[in-house]
Amino acid sequence: MKVFKDLMWFFYQEKKAYITGIILLIIVALLEMVPPKVIGIIIDHIKNGTMTKAYLGQWIGILLIIAIALYGLRYLWRILIFGSAVKLSRQLRNELYAHFTKMSSSFYQRKRIGDLMAHVTNDLQAIQQTAGNGILTLVDSLMLGSFVLIAMAFTISWKLTLISLIPMPFMALATSHYGTLLHKRFLKAQEAFSSLNDKVQESISGMKVIKTFGYELEDVESFRRQSNKVVSKNMDVAKIDALFDPTISFIVGLSFFLAVVFGAKMVLAGELTIGQLVSFTTYLGILIWPMLAFGWLFNIVERGRASYDRVRSLLSEQEEIQEVENAISTPPIGDIVYDIRQFTYPNETAPVLQHISFTLKRGQTLGLVGKTGTGKTTLLKLLIREFDQYDGQIRFAGHEISQYKRNALRASIGYVPQDHFLFSATVRENIAFACPEASEDKIIEAAKLASVHEDIEQFTDGYDTIVGERGVSLSGGQKQRISIARALLMNPEVLILDDSLSAVDAKTEERILSALKENRAGKTTIIASHRLSAVQHADLILVLDNGQIAQMGTHETLMNERGWYRDMYYRQQLESLVEHGG
Amino acid sequence: MDKLLTPKEQRQVLWRLLSYIKGYKTEALVAFILLIFATAGELIGPYLVKVFIDDYLTPRRLEARPLLWIAGAYLGVLVAKTVITYFQLVKFQELALNIIQLLRIDVFTKVHQLGMRYFDQTPGGSIVSRVTNDTEAIQDMFVSVLSSFVQNGVFVIGIFIAMFLLNVQLALYCLFILPVILWIMKLYRHYSPIFYKEMRERLSELNAKLNESLQGMAIIQVFRQEKRLRQEFAMINDKHYEAGMKNIKIDGLLLRPAIDVVYILSIIVVLSFFGISAMESPVEIGVLYAFVNYLERFFEPVTQMMMRLSLYQQAIVSGARVFALLDHTELAPGAAEERGTTISKGTIEFRNVSFSYDGKRDVLKHISFIAKPGETVALVGHTGSGKSSIINLLMRFYEFDRGDILIDGVSIRHYSNEELRKNIGLVLQDPFLFYGTIEENIRMYNRDLTNKDIVEAARFVQADEFIKKLPQQYRHQVVERGATFSSGQRQLIAFARTIAMNPKILVLDEATANIDTETEEAIQEALANMRKGRTTIAIAHRLSTIQDADQILVLHRGEIVERGTHQELLAQKGLYYKMYLLQNGLTDVEEYV
Repeated sequence: MKVFKDLMWFFYQEKKAYITGIILLIIVALLEMVPPKVIGIIIDHIKNGTMTKAYLGQWIGILLIIAIALYGLRYLWRILIFGSAVKLSRQLRNELYAHFTKMSSSFYQRKRIGDLMAHVTNDLQAIQQTAGNGILTLVDSLMLGSFVLIAMAFTISWKLTLISLIPMPFMALATSHYGTLLHKRFLKAQEAFSSLNDKVQESISGMKVIKTFGYELEDVESFRRQSNKVVSKNMDVAKIDALFDPTISFIVGLSFFLAVVFGAKMVLAGELTIGQLVSFTTYLGILIWPMLAFGWLFNIVERGRASYDRVRSLLSEQEEIQEVENAISTPPIGDIVYDIRQFTYPNETAPVLQHISFTLKRGQTLGLVGKTGTGKTTLLKLLIREFDQYDGQIRFAGHEISQYKRNALRASIGYVPQDHFLFSATVRENIAFACPEASEDKIIEAAKLASVHEDIEQFTDGYDTIVGERGVSLSGGQKQRISIARALLMNPEVLILDDSLSAVDAKTEERILSALKENRAGKTTIIASHRLSAVQHADLILVLDNGQIAQMGTHETLMNERGWYRDMYYRQQLESLVEHGG
Repeated sequence: MDKLLTPKEQRQVLWRLLSYIKGYKTEALVAFILLIFATAGELIGPYLVKVFIDDYLTPRRLEARPLLWIAGAYLGVLVAKTVITYFQLVKFQELALNIIQLLRIDVFTKVHQLGMRYFDQTPGGSIVSRVTNDTEAIQDMFVSVLSSFVQNGVFVIGIFIAMFLLNVQLALYCLFILPVILWIMKLYRHYSPIFYKEMRERLSELNAKLNESLQGMAIIQVFRQEKRLRQEFAMINDKHYEAGMKNIKIDGLLLRPAIDVVYILSIIVVLSFFGISAMESPVEIGVLYAFVNYLERFFEPVTQMMMRLSLYQQAIVSGARVFALLDHTELAPGAAEERGTTISKGTIEFRNVSFSYDGKRDVLKHISFIAKPGETVALVGHTGSGKSSIINLLMRFYEFDRGDILIDGVSIRHYSNEELRKNIGLVLQDPFLFYGTIEENIRMYNRDLTNKDIVEAARFVQADEFIKKLPQQYRHQVVERGATFSSGQRQLIAFARTIAMNPKILVLDEATANIDTETEEAIQEALANMRKGRTTIAIAHRLSTIQDADQILVLHRGEIVERGTHQELLAQKGLYYKMYLLQNGLTDVEEYV
């Protein structure tokens, strides 16, 4: 029941809805006591021959009113209580989303997206159940249950109530026992299902191997065995699941039997009327639900608690990149100075960057080259403050970057990442991602600068074409160029191209680079690339090796040194020859 | 891909799903008969109480013997009914599970019949979900919807039969329930799917938005769009909330609360009937009791049936998807009709083969070459030059239409698949390891192989050495596609797998991944051993591995641009020579550029 306490803040926030809803539930429970009673009264009138039209009309009128009242009240409490529960899941979902937007890269390295998704879907579902059905079962099992007992014991016979309730505890015991068994077997069935899933996944990934050896039939046979296991585990579940209904109806049947046998005795002894006996059995029928609700309640609460704990622990994750007090809120404009002694990723031991010192004057172009995994991207990510825990400092326009508000710093930087990620939206919306209110002309201008305008014109819907996961599939080069246009539209003080030209051909690369040169005169540009042609015209080129600066200079000076740069330059020339067939 | 299904299509899917019951006629019949008995047992109880009230209690006839009979019968029926109901429920579940099993195997078998083309076009995840998740949804329908419709339907009919037996006139009055319930059901069936679907759609929109945001969080943050996206998310969240509220409203208006009104109305009818008749003549109170009792039980099944309707919709959608896969026509290239053509020597000939995956752009153009028995033909070329396509055609992964491929002078179309698979061993670039032990990975499904054969195969390809160092040697468990092995070791296991079959023809797609120098040596030696006495077609990325090939074909954009031995090609100073330079130090490069 701890989860109810944990959720108290929400019940308090929605106190009007919950209090009214619970009162309505109680009224409903009270009204439900009436029809069995009416049945008994009418039977007694019939039996005693005292029935008149007026009487009958009166009681039937009461039943009609109750029917209508119940309908309205039942509808209302559903809206109030279930409605609040949906509200809770909406609120938590928004909170989680907002929280996710504050988390930095290291959070996303630790967590898998699939798990986060599962929290937002399954856990919220379970919490919603707790705030809705949890309250319902709590109120119903307590209130309705005690009302029925009171009605039976006080308006009919407490003796008969005690006798006929003897089997009922066994129902609670049996169903709760089945519940535990069922849960265990259900987990096994799920396991079997998930290994079946793995089996299929494996067969499909290894399809070529299977086809190569001609083992299609044998693989189907192995699938059949696995699938048989799923059937048998599910049968284990079914065998327990099927116990519920018969057990309940058996116990209820026994209760009825006791009620009728001992009730009849009392009727004969004159302690009870036949009408009361019929009322009594009808009450017994009503009592089944509160009994079941009680068992169900524990189930709901248990799941709700686990889920709520998980969600809470997610929400309590601290923001890693903190802003200093009185941080500067004007976006920086000026020179960039790196002076890093060492940087190591959180939870890792080997440093990724060591002794990185250089100065990039405003308006210059920096080229970063080197093997894969030598720290080019890491070096750039430090500038946009994806990570903070380095030894040394990075100064931008005279201040350490940690002195700026994150938003101010990022306002100066246009970043084109390595993995060109586009959203499922139109091309226009993707380019205008950072400036949603940008004019059509500006968007087209950016697209032209990135040499993607003509491609876009070719699409069926032009700039209104939906791209991204659920849209048309673009070539890697097109995605890269749209990402570039997206960053260019900001007209940022610093433009970072992190290996963002890898999928465009040499000619287009050249066109984009010269357009940039012209358009970005006076502004800083940083280009990380595998292809040396992309950095050939940079004012400063850094060759990284193993997280350290191995060579540094301009294209001309580096070509005069023996080293990685010159080797690689010739190598790439030859490669392009081979690519073109010699 | 999920377009809306018309009612007619929905019915077709339903019938096709139901047709799977045919295979389980007896079981279905047994389950149904048990159901009839269980229902009868359920209805006898109140009848016995009625007899007791009217014949013994009201007239105060208290004879021990008949009363004991009635009590005994009541308890007997109660026990019997309980037991029968249990088996009835289990039987229906079993039936449903077996039907799904049948469907699942059908789908999986079908997947194996499809050509590689299908796997290129369809993401693996979605195929997996056809076989497992969609059939699971259909299982839900069989388990919950169909069985509950049959069970509850029979129960409702049973109640009416019992009521007619007790009092025809009153039962006729009670028939009013049926049109009212049907009308409510119809309303619910009309409105609920609309709102339910809207909610599902909003939910999947929410999830899509969330998933995408999580994936692109770095972009969102670097472009400072957190606030805007939070608002966008909140907007979808609001819509989802509204859709959720609509569902609560429609359920509140038409489900339990409405059904309960009908229940009280039916009680009113019964009470009025008896009340009015009682004013004229005495009535049987037991009958009244029985009616009240029956009506009390009548409405729960009705609500249950209505609540299951949304599962039905899901299942039909899943069913349509599964059947679309089952009806897919892009099958793997068919096997030859005539049997008995066998591969004896292993000569391979490509005769003017051209091929296109999409029917527009040719990836192979007029490829012709011959590999004589025991010879090695190496294919080299840049990515996309068509090397892999040659292997895809030779392995019959794709059907070709222009030119011909012959083995021992006979078109490969005329060999049975079995004959081809038995004689051509392919080692893939990505040596896929399956879940299981090393032994099982070498043996695959070939039961004829003895343990000795397996060790010999491993020894032959130099894999024996590292396997022996593992804690459980050949019984060592391979985890997650062999992630604990180096790519070289995986390669060696794949070699052993192929060599254990002792094929006449070897097709090698060399691994591009970096292999540690230690294993590299073992691999080179193993390859040399394997090639001995076998016709070999090898794709080579490292030119050093195929220097001794009898013939090297240099491919560029689907054409063979150079051919000859290593020495001949070097002397030509063409494309091969440049590739060779690239891989073997750069001493001569500068003069070349």
